[in-house]
Order: sequence, then C-alpha cells, then structure tokens
Amino acid sequence: MASKLAVPLKPFLRAQQRSLPANGHGAFVPQIRKLVFEFCDNWASSTNLRTYIHNHVENLARENPHVEFVVRRRSHREPVIRGFYINNRDKVIGLKGFEVTGIQQKVQLLLDSSGAKIKPLKRETVVSSTEAARGIWSGLHVEEPFRI
Amino acid sequence: MASLLRPTLRAVATRALHTQTAAAPATTPSALSLIRSQPSHYVVASVAGRKYLLTPRDLLTVPRLKDVKVGDVLKLSDIHELGSREYTVRGSPTIPAEQVHVEATVVEHTKGRMEVIFKKKRRKGYERTVRHKQTYTRLRIGPIDIVENASS
Repeated sequence: MASKLAVPLKPFLRAQQRSLPANGHGAFVPQIRKLVFEFCDNWASSTNLRTYIHNHVENLARENPHVEFVVRRRSHREPVIRGFYINNRDKVIGLKGFEVTGIQQKVQLLLDSSGAKIKPLKRETVVSSTEAARGIWSGLHVEEPFRI
Repeated sequence: MASLLRPTLRAVATRALHTQTAAAPATTPSALSLIRSQPSHYVVASVAGRKYLLTPRDLLTVPRLKDVKVGDVLKLSDIHELGSREYTVRGSPTIPAEQVHVEATVVEHTKGRMEVIFKKKRRKGYERTVRHKQTYTRLRIGPIDIVENASS
C-alpha cells in the first residue's frame, strides 16, 4: 500500500498570520483577574470594610466566578482595595471614610474596568483597526484627474 | 497644452472598468446578496441616540449605559445603511432587523480623565472648583451578518 503523499502547502506570508486584539468580537474575556481587600483589625477606619467583607464578599465571589478574591490583613494602615488586570496593570483605591454603599460602588468600578490607563475619551468615539470597506479615495483614479 | 493630451489607453481602460454601471437590483434580497458577495462591509447604525459608521472589530465609546453589565451582548436595532466597496443599501429609515444582524459586546464601563472646571468672578469673592469624570461604556462591534434567505 502506497503511503499518502503530503498535500503541497500554498506559500503564505508570515506577517498575515498575526491577529489584532479585539476582545469581545468573537469571545469576551473579562479583564479583571484578582481583587484584594486589605483591612486593619484594630483601626476604626477599617470598620466599614470589615463589615463589607463579613456581609457581601461571599456573594460577590459567587456572582463573579472569573475573579480571584483575596482578603488580606494590612495592619496599622488605612483600608485599601486593589484590582489586578490582565494587562499587568493594577488599580488601587483607598477606602478611608467610605460607607458600605460607597465601598460597593468602588468594587463595582474595579470589576467593570478594563485596567487600561484613564485617558480622555470625548474625542475617540470609534477606534477601528479594520480597513475601510469602501476603500480610500485616490486622486489618480478619478474620472477627471486634476491637471496643473 | 497638457489638458489637450488624450489620456493613455491604460487610463481609459481603468476608468471604463471602474465606472461601468450595472442595472440596480430589483429586489432587496438580491441587493443584499450582492453586498454579501463582497469581502468587507460597513454599517451606519444608531446607538444611544447617535449615528455611527461601524465596521466589525471596532471599539465604540458611548455615554454610560446604566442598565447593562460588562460582557452583555447588545443587538443593534436601528441600522440605517449597509454597504460594501461598490454597493450600498439604505433603509427607509432603517433596514429591517430580520435582514441584517449586528451585535455589540459591552467591554467595559469606564470614566474619562478628570476635568477641573474653575469658575471665578473677579472682585466679587466668587470662586468655584468642580472636579468631574465623565462616565463611558465601550462596546466591541461583532461581525456583520447579512441574512441569506428568501424573505424580503
């Protein structure tokens, strides 16, 4: 029995095999990977965070299975919450003077964020890496080219 | 003098190919299948009250959508125009939702840069400082799906 010959491969350009990032186009990968609550046992400023950890963190972890939740003791410091993201950046929010509802809002802020650096978003409505569907206008390919 | 020179044969051939007019397709499904046969498409759709020209894989920033969570998939319901390199279909005012499907995934809810608004009236002792971060939602546009069936 003759062995099957390999099908000859069409030559391709290696640079065309790259893929551009487009999180959410096909599949969506949540950008936050870890959320750390740091509190102090003794100081009064951590009371609200301790209440929040006692009452809400378990449900939060159940609702967000993609996030790793860590509760750490950070003695003799103000309470802090840290979010770690897939782009290797982290966001740290101090919780001094926050009530439990305020802590909930800051936790939601970290869960919703993508970790990208905050930049002015007023002007950039559509950010696209797709080439134009209608093509780019060329002055050499018109009916009446401009003659000096 | 240059304007009196006849265009070269190659330029004439290119121009003729480019500007030849075919008969406009009679029915919407045939128009849509013409567009579908082309490799890349764009869509003009209304999102959050504003019209945008969108292509697949691009990131759209709109003011914060409050009733939506990160990871949710939204279907664009008002598509005004669908086009490709050579053909365009314009709805009146929108293309029916059964014919074109475009989805957008909520990627994040962010805030913009901190803006400090300073107001002062001189010699009146009036000074106010307002610190403000505008809230935004970013959406990733999915593939443009032109439905291929016999319904008009």
